[in-house]
Amino acid sequence: MVYRMSDTSQTKNILSVIRNMPAAVWSSVFRHNLPHTDLGRSQTSFTNFFLHMHPVKVHKNTLRPWFTMGLGLISLFLFLILTVTGVLLMFYYVPSTTQAYDRMLDLRGSVAFGDFLRNMHRWSAHGMVAAVFLHMCRVFFTGSYKKPREFNWVLGVGLFLLTLFLSFTGYLLPWDQLAFWAITVGTAIAGYAPVFGEQIRFLLLGDTTVGQEALLRFYVLHVAVLPIAMVTMIAIHFWRIRKDGGLSRPVASDIVVDPAPPQELALPGAINLIEKKRYGVQGVVRGPFTKVGNVPDNSVYSYPNLLLAELFVLILTIFGVLAVSYFFNAPLEEPVNVLHPPNPAKAPWYFLGLQEMVSYSAFWGGVGIPAIEVLILFLVPYFDRAQKGIGLWFSRERLLANTLFGTFVVVNIVLIIIGTFFRGQNWEFVSPF
Amino acid sequence: MSEKNDARNTTEVGEPISRRKVLAWLTTMGLFGSAIVTVFSNLVFIKPRATYGQPMRFSIGTPDEFPPGTRIALGTQKIAVIREGDKMAAISTTCTHLGCIVGVADTGFACPCHGSRYDQDGNVTGGPAPKALPWFELSLAPNGELEVDKSKEIKAGKWFTV
Repeated sequence: MVYRMSDTSQTKNILSVIRNMPAAVWSSVFRHNLPHTDLGRSQTSFTNFFLHMHPVKVHKNTLRPWFTMGLGLISLFLFLILTVTGVLLMFYYVPSTTQAYDRMLDLRGSVAFGDFLRNMHRWSAHGMVAAVFLHMCRVFFTGSYKKPREFNWVLGVGLFLLTLFLSFTGYLLPWDQLAFWAITVGTAIAGYAPVFGEQIRFLLLGDTTVGQEALLRFYVLHVAVLPIAMVTMIAIHFWRIRKDGGLSRPVASDIVVDPAPPQELALPGAINLIEKKRYGVQGVVRGPFTKVGNVPDNSVYSYPNLLLAELFVLILTIFGVLAVSYFFNAPLEEPVNVLHPPNPAKAPWYFLGLQEMVSYSAFWGGVGIPAIEVLILFLVPYFDRAQKGIGLWFSRERLLANTLFGTFVVVNIVLIIIGTFFRGQNWEFVSPF
Repeated sequence: MSEKNDARNTTEVGEPISRRKVLAWLTTMGLFGSAIVTVFSNLVFIKPRATYGQPMRFSIGTPDEFPPGTRIALGTQKIAVIREGDKMAAISTTCTHLGCIVGVADTGFACPCHGSRYDQDGNVTGGPAPKALPWFELSLAPNGELEVDKSKEIKAGKWFTV
């Protein structure tokens, strides 16, 4: 080997390694510069961990603000805000019946930004319940749960229930009057479940009465069990969006391409050639999405179109949460008094419809009717199978389904309004006017 | 190659099931069984064997502390003690609907949570409560104090005479 370096060239070599190191590190992390070509835009989506859940190209219909209203994204971003603020709050919270309430007062008095973080956490939770519900309404009224998206609707209903459980287990933790009586009533409702009701209640409480064991159990559910289930289901929900061919869209929004030039079809044994062209590198994807060649279509590159739309919704969501948290303090009732429930003892607004139903019959209002409602929601895409009116708001072809679901929504909202404004002491009917 | 084909053929015609199939079946059953055992043991684990709740049997003081005409709620014990003349009763103040604590008034009991109402003896007069407030057994301990046993429900109207 006649390869020898002088001292100076060795020094130079080391210097150039050091000089090039930032660029080398950068390019090893980010494989591409900001893209200026279509190839680059594709690679950006493909090679970035956080972007690769996006398709390379996205249909223009998906980006119409008034089609989705960004409700799914808002739900996700609220969940992320809840995770971050929740982890921060855990640094100061103690799940103990003697300390929990004092810790709430500490957040207010002696922790920097403590009350503000609690406000953000509480208002984001309220917002998430609303956003997830409205997202469900959007998906229904645009007929987006139909084949091939049936199972993603089922996952979505599951996510809605998880959201409710998370918010329920969450507002118990301050151990104020609302917490104590909500846990009392909530677990009593569970006790009305058929066959295993009392066992379920005992497992939830860890005791025969509401106390320290119950607080600890709901804490573990709130900070570990339910969030893990939530993250897992969100991941599957998003994965299915891609695998089910992106968001739903009306048939008319796709450009119809003449399938094949006749001379190619004329070749014997090559009939399926054009069909095969749709099998891209990712394997078989339902819907006319993965394409080879430059077929004209109505899609645009995710980078930057989809990303900018997402960024816009993110900023809007954060701004909304910050604004509400700045102007309104999260409610904190008096410390637990096991002798006297507040009168009237009201749950947060999204459970007041349930509370109103429970005030007629504990079993039917708390277990029977909600269970039937949830079951029907789960089975909606398997009842309503007609491939009509997909991807259109309030399609006339779906008048019956939309009317039924609209009635369901209105009835629940009316129950919530009654529970909120028309119930006074001892849950007696009062007029707010 | 030919051996493999032979093996496949024998299973198809219903010859003795192949070793591979039996092992696969046993493995599946084993894993499935383990999963069930795991779920069951976890349920057993989270079901507490001992609880820290209040005792079911407790003393509430001597009868003199409850003069005739008393209708008083004992908060922590979740009972109302009632005395009319020399007759006494201990009635639960836990609403039979969803477990809130009912308020005690001279006219009866009222629940602030969902509006259940009971008369003076705990019978339902309105609201969603499915049944009357239970009466608990009262007894006089040798030291002269009244004892309530919440594990023993008695018939409504069965007064304890002091």
